[in-house]
Amino acid sequence: MKDIFEIQRRTFLGRGVAGLGAMALRTLWGAPPKTGFPGAVNPLHYPAKAKRVIFLYQAGGPSHLETFDSKPKLAEMHGKGMPESFTKGQQIAQLQGRPLVCFGPQYGFKKFGKSGQEMIELFPHIGSVADDVCIIRSMWTEQINHDPAHTVMNTGSIIAGRPSMGSWVLYGLGAETDELPGYVVLFSSGKGGQNQPIAARQWSAGMLPSKFQGVKLNSVGDPVLYIQNPPGMAAAAQKESIDAINRLNQAQNAALQDPEILTRIAQYEMAFKMQSSVPGLMDMSKEPASVLEAYGAKPGDGSFASNCLLARRLAERGVRFIQLYHRDWDHHAGIKQNIPLKAEETDKPTAALISDLKQRGLLDDTIVVWGGEFGRTPMSQGGDGRDHHIKGFSFMVAGGGFKPGISHGATDDLGYAAVESPVSVHDFHATMLHLLGIDHKRMTVKFQGLDVRLTGTAGELVKEILA
Amino acid sequence: MQSFRLGLLGLSILTLRAEVSFNRDIRPIMSDTCFRCHGPDKSSRMMNLRLDIREEALKPNRAGVSPIVPGDPDKSNIIRRIFAANPAQIMPPKAAHKELTEAQKRTIRQWVAEGAKYEGHWAYSPVRRPAAPTEGNPIDSFVLARLAKEGLTASAAADKITQIRRVTLDLTGLPPAPDEVKAFLADDSAGAWTRVVDRLLASPRYAEKQALLWLDAVRYADTCGFHGDNPWPAWPYRDYVLRSFRDNKPFDQFTREQLAGDFLSGVDAWTGSAYNRMTRTSAEGGLQPKEYLAKYGADRVRTTSNVWLGSTMGCAECHDHKFDPFTQKDFYSMKAFFADIKETGLVPDRGKNAWGSLLALPTAAQRDELAELRARIEEMERRMAAQTPPVPAGLLDDVKAGKLAWQFPRPLTAASQNGSKLTIYNEEPLDSMYDFRGSLVSEKKPGHGTIAASGPNPDNETYTVTFKPGAGKWTALGLEVIQDESLPGMRVARGADRFVLTGFEAAVNGRPIPLVLATDNVLYPVPEHPVMAVLDADPATGWGVTMYGEGRNVFLALRLGAPLETSESDVIAIRLRHDSKYRRAVLGRFRVAVSAATYAWPGTTAIGSRDRKTDEEGLPEEALAALKVPAARRTAEESKALAEYLVWASPEFQASEIELANLRARRDMLNAQIPRVVYSDRTEPEITRVLARGNFMDDSGEVVKPAIPAFLGKLPSANPTRLDLANWLVSADNPLTARVFVNRMWREFFGQGLSKALDDLGSQGEWPTHQEVLDWLAAEFMLPRYQGEGAHAWDVKHLIRTIVLSDTYRQSSLPRPEVKAKDPENRLLARQNRFRVDAEIVRDIALASSGLLVEKFGGPSVRPVQPDGYLAALNFPKRDYSASRGDDLHRRSLYTFWQRSFLHPALLAFDAPTREECAVNRVTSNTPLQALVLLNDPEFVEAARVFAQNTLAQGGGSLSQRINWTFQRAVQRPPTAAEAQVLTGLYRKSLARFKASPERARQFIGVGEAPAAAKANPVDLAAMMTVTRAVLNMHETVTRN
Repeated sequence: MKDIFEIQRRTFLGRGVAGLGAMALRTLWGAPPKTGFPGAVNPLHYPAKAKRVIFLYQAGGPSHLETFDSKPKLAEMHGKGMPESFTKGQQIAQLQGRPLVCFGPQYGFKKFGKSGQEMIELFPHIGSVADDVCIIRSMWTEQINHDPAHTVMNTGSIIAGRPSMGSWVLYGLGAETDELPGYVVLFSSGKGGQNQPIAARQWSAGMLPSKFQGVKLNSVGDPVLYIQNPPGMAAAAQKESIDAINRLNQAQNAALQDPEILTRIAQYEMAFKMQSSVPGLMDMSKEPASVLEAYGAKPGDGSFASNCLLARRLAERGVRFIQLYHRDWDHHAGIKQNIPLKAEETDKPTAALISDLKQRGLLDDTIVVWGGEFGRTPMSQGGDGRDHHIKGFSFMVAGGGFKPGISHGATDDLGYAAVESPVSVHDFHATMLHLLGIDHKRMTVKFQGLDVRLTGTAGELVKEILA
Repeated sequence: MQSFRLGLLGLSILTLRAEVSFNRDIRPIMSDTCFRCHGPDKSSRMMNLRLDIREEALKPNRAGVSPIVPGDPDKSNIIRRIFAANPAQIMPPKAAHKELTEAQKRTIRQWVAEGAKYEGHWAYSPVRRPAAPTEGNPIDSFVLARLAKEGLTASAAADKITQIRRVTLDLTGLPPAPDEVKAFLADDSAGAWTRVVDRLLASPRYAEKQALLWLDAVRYADTCGFHGDNPWPAWPYRDYVLRSFRDNKPFDQFTREQLAGDFLSGVDAWTGSAYNRMTRTSAEGGLQPKEYLAKYGADRVRTTSNVWLGSTMGCAECHDHKFDPFTQKDFYSMKAFFADIKETGLVPDRGKNAWGSLLALPTAAQRDELAELRARIEEMERRMAAQTPPVPAGLLDDVKAGKLAWQFPRPLTAASQNGSKLTIYNEEPLDSMYDFRGSLVSEKKPGHGTIAASGPNPDNETYTVTFKPGAGKWTALGLEVIQDESLPGMRVARGADRFVLTGFEAAVNGRPIPLVLATDNVLYPVPEHPVMAVLDADPATGWGVTMYGEGRNVFLALRLGAPLETSESDVIAIRLRHDSKYRRAVLGRFRVAVSAATYAWPGTTAIGSRDRKTDEEGLPEEALAALKVPAARRTAEESKALAEYLVWASPEFQASEIELANLRARRDMLNAQIPRVVYSDRTEPEITRVLARGNFMDDSGEVVKPAIPAFLGKLPSANPTRLDLANWLVSADNPLTARVFVNRMWREFFGQGLSKALDDLGSQGEWPTHQEVLDWLAAEFMLPRYQGEGAHAWDVKHLIRTIVLSDTYRQSSLPRPEVKAKDPENRLLARQNRFRVDAEIVRDIALASSGLLVEKFGGPSVRPVQPDGYLAALNFPKRDYSASRGDDLHRRSLYTFWQRSFLHPALLAFDAPTREECAVNRVTSNTPLQALVLLNDPEFVEAARVFAQNTLAQGGGSLSQRINWTFQRAVQRPPTAAEAQVLTGLYRKSLARFKASPERARQFIGVGEAPAAAKANPVDLAAMMTVTRAVLNMHETVTRN
């Protein structure tokens, strides 16, 4: 795995051209894929449980104390000073220099399902699939501001220019389709909280070639940038033009035998396929009313619910990594008013997605992740909000070989620090990659003379949450 | 993954010679497989064994076993372990996943047998000018000698068309013009090539191409990079880089100015010091300043060490480097050089202190005018401040009774000129979400006179609103700008990153109402858009607000020239003009207001909400607070606030108020025109400590002074500065700078470096294919000797000229089977390479071929067309893109506004780096998204359209002549018969299609804002456009051969 540029060239060389590289013949599961391209981890390091990931990224920093981490002791301490033993020498964001006062959970928790998993009472739908999900209550991260924290969550590094996890997965496993990008990013926002900015760096391929980068699918305008033909250009006319371009390139190649030209020709064919298949992907008119209802999706509204349904459609079509950003979880103020709004937007669609995947037999090999870049302080901010918090927060995962119906790890009594089986972001990456068949310590790319890996120099597999 | 290393393996077979060389053969293997545990980093060293230093590697261990016994591989423990059959014994251990190949094992064994001779790493040894084996250009001499050794020969020179296209693209980033090609083809004289090269080197376009590499490396961008990623003033630094290349500034001076311009004199050097400020900076609330200061410092070490030293010192932030002799102390000692830069952890992105140290770059005339304006304003302010009008009796009672409150009449009609749909919400409920003190609040309430725009969204728009004020005597008109989350431009405008109201006119029953004074309640005024500009005669200027940080609705108060009496039936019409250059900087929601008070200050309590919580308004908040304090107990400050309001409100001082407001507006607009740039300003150095594991919170580490990496030497000064650092970087004592720069330049002319690892010349980098060429060029760069008449030390043009005048450069790039078989990656240069041009050049070629390109050297960054909504994920503030107008749509791509978090998608698709970090090694990928850009991006469709217009106008009368003309413009050669046939076929099919549906033809030729051809028949033009579009999409068009 030394020379990523060489891989790129060879990969395409392998497609329909004389002189097939050994690489192109050996593919993911033995047989050459009908479409897409093979991955760089070949063969896989482990038998893969999961083939794809749907990451429901709750951006802004959802409060673990109002989602998955019940803290009765914090409720008792409400309004009292936060014991200094918890906070001394720890990083603080906007509460720098302010008195630190305990702020009890704003909603009650309930036990759901046979497993009795505890969640906020505002999550009845996720509660209804409690036995299918695994809750990690001991996440921690290292960056306390949104932008760098997103970068750590996505790339494992605070330095810009590293590939995001979707790129890693696409690079490692390859693509299963020619008709859609292998890594797709969706956005939605709702009410309450702040729409924190999210830079394109979060789905960048970093130093990997740009074919591994996430492609943002827009709910307004062109679903994929430049996917629409120019005005007045019918699909058949576009095809004629692409054919002509490819014939011109073939004429060149007759003299040159240049693999780059062959790649270029293949890319134009793939571009046309994408142009043909994206409208079908986006067209939800054939989805039964019951499905739309289950998700709470109104096609075209760009909501989290519609994106969840779109995520299932992308998964069905062979997209490797699907990342849904749902924004405005940044509740520095008004957490009591705002959490129900977020719950209303995410509870039902998240549960519907898990059930729908399960019903279609896709949950077994699809990892679903629900979580954000960090959690929120057990201390109040301004009397009604919570500040950024990195020492402990929660993730919910389902499918793809995660052990269902369990909770893992714990924060201390006040929900401040992960004290029992702490799971770092790197550990999470390592575990996710493991389920995809990849040893995070072995999937490296050469960059600035180093073997760089997604998990950096850290990251250990969390065996307890594997099915 | 070995199967992907064919190229590398092929090369190592080629280069395997009788004697093993440590540097060439052994160090790369050991660095990759041994040094992690047996190298420079003591914290990860295993068994106390170090293999990177000979003395250490020969020392027997406690058991008396020597890792290496020179000349005796069988007695050498490392050989035993490498060849061990027992999996528990084998080295590297299985868990490391660093298996050695059989060939590598044999090489190590051979090296030990030959005496285990170590060498210092090639890149760290002094640059010596190797003697060329033969006469002539030493590049050719070295390359040919090497080829001969490998049994290969060089290729013949490329055909002349390829040569001139190649060198013109490489030197200027544009294809040659037809007459330039013609002249070169006709010139068979001896100096023809040299003349072409010298012509190109003298062109300003040369700088526009060569600067790209530097701008990537120094991470030049137009935005700050973190969080809100707001625009900052940086482009004068880009122009500094451009001028430096154009004027062939010696590279040593270039280095000094950037790292230490603030130690030198002159505006140019100070501008260069912006280098130190290009680090990503954050204005995110709640950041920990210490953490970010640590980030900024570390960024500077990573960038500086990469740009000049080709080294990955970033690794040493947390621990000693694992492969190269950089220690963690070296990292922090390097960081200490930058500890004197005046900066804060949170770098404000708005307000008076925005962006920290700024260097203003006015012209002499601007400076004089500004000084004069300032003097006049100061004079007037002094005079006005001396006024203390009496507080009118009963003012506080009037305020409390709501007599100064603005009234919001219910509009009768609201109409737009360019198609926007305006809806009046009087008592009807209106849903809205607005920003209130940093949080979004949503509500659904009656509109109370709100007008909301929707539907078509033109770039410029004029609204006309009518209402009946009722019977009364009015003194002022008002405008409340209402926020809503649905509005992409800062929640107030229908686009852009601001609204700009360029004109406000009012009339009663058709008679104009004179307006004399404009006042707003904006917290962060935009100098470019002072409030008085809404009343001036210039349609381009106006009142504009970006809303960032306002946290409430803004309000415009317009004083009438004389009180206006109206009856119940009178109708007032107001006209709101939005004619600025910013597209869609058009109000999305607003209410009009009237006031009968003498005089009401802009409504300040109308915060986000349409319902006021109190009627206590009409005075500035400070003045109102002061008014509530009994006169005797007012502080000086309170008295001043009150007096200021009273002067503003007093008819007696009205003429002076207007004059002062106009002077301030002129000053602000002039100020907005003066370029500014972030630069480094010096202060007392902060203490720099080694941070254990890079942890910024750990204050226990050793305090370090500025120093260069210890293994590279020591600076003579006891307290060295950035200037000392810069001087050392370009001194003969430093072996790296010249090599690093030459290696990167080589990539520009051969598609890859002599060492492929452009970012690492250290032991994990790649041994250069032609070290003699690299070293000779490095020596020549520092001190020209070869055909160096007129050349100076560190002469970039001389370096480039020497490369492109070589025969090696001019070779054909056509593949040859024997070369392909022996050297599949063409590392030995038996031919030239073929590679796709960089992202900027992809677009520049389309602009130049089509005739759209507008050439203008330097200036503020421009915004070419970009898809709507591309910036939607940004916030703080929420904003929309506003494309430039006219010529600025078609400037060379290096002038494109570089938004770090969302770089222009067409540039990104072709692998342009975001410049969030130092980037010296652009990848060249080949993706379907690139195809979509070339096919469908309106910029490229527009280029095809203008290209077709020009083809029809200038390309001859027949189809074949036109196809020929098109081809010549894009790739400088005529099409082959087969190619012409493809295009003829495409043209005919397209013609038939567009004849059948002329409406489609009209749509197709309607793309882009460049002027349409007056005479062309839409169907012919559309059909020809499919031809030009196909040509612009050809692989050859975007490839340099």
